[in-house]
Amino acid sequence: MSTSTRTQVRFPHGDVPRRPRGRRRGWAAVVAYVVTALLILPMLWVVVLSFQTNENILRDPLNLTELNLANYEVATQTLNLMLMYKNTFILASVSVVVGVVFAYMAAYALTRMEWTRVWLRNGLRFYLLAGLAIPVYILLFPVYRLNIELGLFGTYWALILPYIAAQLPFNVLLFTGFLADFPVEVEEAAVIDGARLRTLAWQIVFPLMRPVVATLLIFNIIYVWNEYPFAVTLINDPAMTTISLGVAQFQGFWSVDYGAMMASATLVLLPQLLLYAVFQRHVVAGMTFGAVKG
Amino acid sequence: MRWLSRPWQLAGMVLPALIIYSLYFTYPVVYSVLQSFTDAKAFGSSTIVGAENYTSMVDDPLFWSSLRNTAIILVISLCLLLPGAFGLALLLGRRIRGAGVLRTMVFAPNVVAPILIGLIWVFILDPHLGLLNELLRLVGVAEPPAWIGGTTLSPYSIGSVYVWQTVGFIMTIFYAGLKMLPGDVMEAAELDGAAGLKRLRYVTVPMLRETIGITTVLVITGSFKIFELVVQLTGGGPVHLSETLVSYTYHVTFGLQNYGYGMALAVITSVLGVAVALGYLAFLRRKATAA
Repeated sequence: MSTSTRTQVRFPHGDVPRRPRGRRRGWAAVVAYVVTALLILPMLWVVVLSFQTNENILRDPLNLTELNLANYEVATQTLNLMLMYKNTFILASVSVVVGVVFAYMAAYALTRMEWTRVWLRNGLRFYLLAGLAIPVYILLFPVYRLNIELGLFGTYWALILPYIAAQLPFNVLLFTGFLADFPVEVEEAAVIDGARLRTLAWQIVFPLMRPVVATLLIFNIIYVWNEYPFAVTLINDPAMTTISLGVAQFQGFWSVDYGAMMASATLVLLPQLLLYAVFQRHVVAGMTFGAVKG
Repeated sequence: MRWLSRPWQLAGMVLPALIIYSLYFTYPVVYSVLQSFTDAKAFGSSTIVGAENYTSMVDDPLFWSSLRNTAIILVISLCLLLPGAFGLALLLGRRIRGAGVLRTMVFAPNVVAPILIGLIWVFILDPHLGLLNELLRLVGVAEPPAWIGGTTLSPYSIGSVYVWQTVGFIMTIFYAGLKMLPGDVMEAAELDGAAGLKRLRYVTVPMLRETIGITTVLVITGSFKIFELVVQLTGGGPVHLSETLVSYTYHVTFGLQNYGYGMALAVITSVLGVAVALGYLAFLRRKATAA
């Protein structure tokens, strides 16, 4: 926003900034810090409460003098957090890898390969992207029935397949967006050298898609990690509990022990924030790309 | 590259995605629509009842309260989220020490599971043990309001939590839009005497029309989709009066196992969400050509 330095150089005679620069910036900084602090306070509050005793939370939650780790002992001993993480990890790794690979294959065919029936290609592209407009909630009950009919109910596939389908429109959108702008010369040279489709798609173009792939992997992982509506509908076996399902049960599980509930919540919250901190570049880049380009 | 595009090669590339998508996306949508015209229940066979499920919505008070709650959440989101996120984008787009870190932090709630966000906010909004009322009592409010659990304030609270969770997301889109504005236009505007609010009103906002359109559609469709926050904050209670369209649909389908009616609700909710978003886009386009 601030262009004052350059303006001054170009027009040395006048047009002095109306307000002193230092003061203006100072105010903006203070407001920005305060607003951000207020916005992250709710998440911090859970972490703070997790170190408090249960009696204190009920009686005087703002008294932060007696902090200890007892809640974490209770939480880790009672809850099977490792099971939730394991299940979510299995669901995420299979559905994300398969989903991204299939989406890439479809996008490659739809943008880089020659179709004798162009209407078919355009129709398929529209068909695959139309899913972006349809709320996932309309799918819950039919998918539940479908899983029973296919005999998948109670297996990981019951969630993996709808996860792939639900993410496909977005994945195809991002891949086709990037592939459409991608120069064909490299592929043409490879074709002259005798490259086959497999080589072209996987060894030449796919490695160049690395930034998109990274963004999509992060997005898909976040999606599966946080997904609740499908999980609550399609899973009834406690051994298959995912992280989201686990969180939903905390309230019932710890109906009196709020300290343990907060400790459990923190144990879910911190890995999510950590993952985000490591990959935040890809998250924000992918988000703005998808929004501005799509 | 015609030689490598034989039909079987094209099919091999497209079919894996196409099959999963058709089976788990298209088929369920078609199934929902068909089911919404039957009286399918948990047990027994179903018969076609025509539009009966749709007409019975008119007499269903819970449908209307869910619609009202969804509308409240939608209006709150539009009124708070868009200006708030835009202001935040302007603020965090300035050359402030650590602005990048601040933008990262503001976005963080979007990667946390919505179901966990709901749980976190219970400990702030709960009338008895929540932080908010604790603070209100501290400053002398004897009877602080019931933010969640009651029927009056619940939708407003759900909407506000949604705003809190999503503001960083919308802010990031605005920020990207602001950064793509051509710098020379902004400088020219400043030289022409359009600084501060004036420049914002006559230069920045009109040039961001596209971005504003995208964010508004995202906010509209997002408000219709809120589910986890309702589950965690109020559970739809008391007596289902704080349900939204989506959570009420879930309750009818899986709680009452009234599948025909549930699918009709699902269809109506989807159509409403898409219609409001499309209607808004059409409105924007008309305004753009009129201007």
